[in-house]
Amino acid sequence: MSRDSNYDHHISIFSPNGRLYQIEYAFKASQSSGLTSVACRGADSVAICTQKKVPERLVDPESVSNVFTIVPSIGCLMTGIGPDCKALVQRIRYEANDFQYKYGYPIPCAQLAKRIADIAQVYTQSASMRPLAATAILISVDDEKGPQLFKVDPAGHYLPFFATSAGVKEQEAVNYFEKKVEDLKTSNVDDVARTAIMCLGSVLGSDFRGSEIEVALVQGKQRFKKLTEDEVEGHLNAIAEMDA
Amino acid sequence: MASSGSGYDLSPTTFSPDGRIFQVEYASKSVASSGTLIGLKCSDGIVLACEKLLANKMLVPGSNKRINTVSKTSGCAFTGFVSDGRQIVNRAREEASSYLDTYGIPVPPSVLADRLAHYVHYFTLHGALRPFGASMVLGCYEEDMDEASLYMVEPSGQVFKYFGCAAGKGRQGAKTEIEKLDLSTLTVAQGVKEAARIVTMLRDDGKDKPMELEISTVAAENNYVHKPCEKSVIAEAEKWAKEQIEEEEDMEEDED
Repeated sequence: MSRDSNYDHHISIFSPNGRLYQIEYAFKASQSSGLTSVACRGADSVAICTQKKVPERLVDPESVSNVFTIVPSIGCLMTGIGPDCKALVQRIRYEANDFQYKYGYPIPCAQLAKRIADIAQVYTQSASMRPLAATAILISVDDEKGPQLFKVDPAGHYLPFFATSAGVKEQEAVNYFEKKVEDLKTSNVDDVARTAIMCLGSVLGSDFRGSEIEVALVQGKQRFKKLTEDEVEGHLNAIAEMDA
Repeated sequence: MASSGSGYDLSPTTFSPDGRIFQVEYASKSVASSGTLIGLKCSDGIVLACEKLLANKMLVPGSNKRINTVSKTSGCAFTGFVSDGRQIVNRAREEASSYLDTYGIPVPPSVLADRLAHYVHYFTLHGALRPFGASMVLGCYEEDMDEASLYMVEPSGQVFKYFGCAAGKGRQGAKTEIEKLDLSTLTVAQGVKEAARIVTMLRDDGKDKPMELEISTVAAENNYVHKPCEKSVIAEAEKWAKEQIEEEEDMEEDED
């Protein structure tokens, strides 16, 4: 495969085969953190689950997190290069709150995803800024449409999902979810959370302790919340009993 | 894998084929070849220690400070390009001061660290700018939580909260030494001495340029006001450090 090496230095240049190489490299960069994240939605809730890797022993674990609250009803799971993820969260928070200020009601998840995707697209077309190497998974329970799960990637694509994944083992996680998707549609909140955890466990091929993963969910009219280590351990124990 | 950069390393807006941004990595390299910087979160405060490499014998001792006060109860130290570091310090001071003006309370350490990280990260996004070639360690105290925290901001914009951190030439060795310390019981007074010991231990006096050690603390005994250590305290710490190192060397010789 000829890499059209003259055409991959700049965002706004197409290669002769019509590819935008810088965007493809941005995708690679967003996988360079080595983490995998998964998300799935059920009958009235959405759960997200990701690895928590503390880079060194001297780092305080409370400052390591890829799960962010955007507004109380919308949560976000970021995968990619740390600083790019945080910059994107800043922007998502701004857009969500600006919508609320202008129009007087909380932004629907779909609108927010579209707005962020449009902003990401601008970076792929203007040469002075690079795409952010960060994939955002946005979740909420909409009062009209029910549970919502959107994924926005560095290229500016966004789609609603029943279940999705981002990061290194993205494809394996998606394969896992494809088998469970029919059951998920009628699952309650505990089953949704457990399916997410089991998916991550299965693609990474290992068992977890409560401190090694982050799990968060949004259910019904409740706020988006991160589960505590004890709550995560509770789910892990329930999963272990199911298998036994 | 294009590990040598070769065309992908000319601008922060270019990703390499394997998804790396070389300009940011090069900025980190410039930090990695400068004087060692250590931060310790002790039981009763923060210690910041900086190895200032003296390029010139005519420099006035005590000048060209590497550790600066950001607000009354926070201080920051940097290593890498000194001029870049000064810009970040100025920004930190503006952020802290404007937060106090807007919200009426001193800026919480996590907010200040986050803002600085966003500021530094911004310079890794635009083609017209270059990343900062400096890492900064922030030590601050928050009265509401009665907690002193330690943060390090790197040229990529990454920031974490640390129990102990190190940057610069001797960071690998320093991190190993810091992990050996019991930070939960270490006092600031002892921490100052340990920091001096670690910096001195990692230098090679034959090869490295002469250095001046700069240490400051955000300590309970000073009501958590950020204060540079007195010259006498630093001199005493250096003396203690040299004694400790000689003792260890003697012990090793005895073992042989």
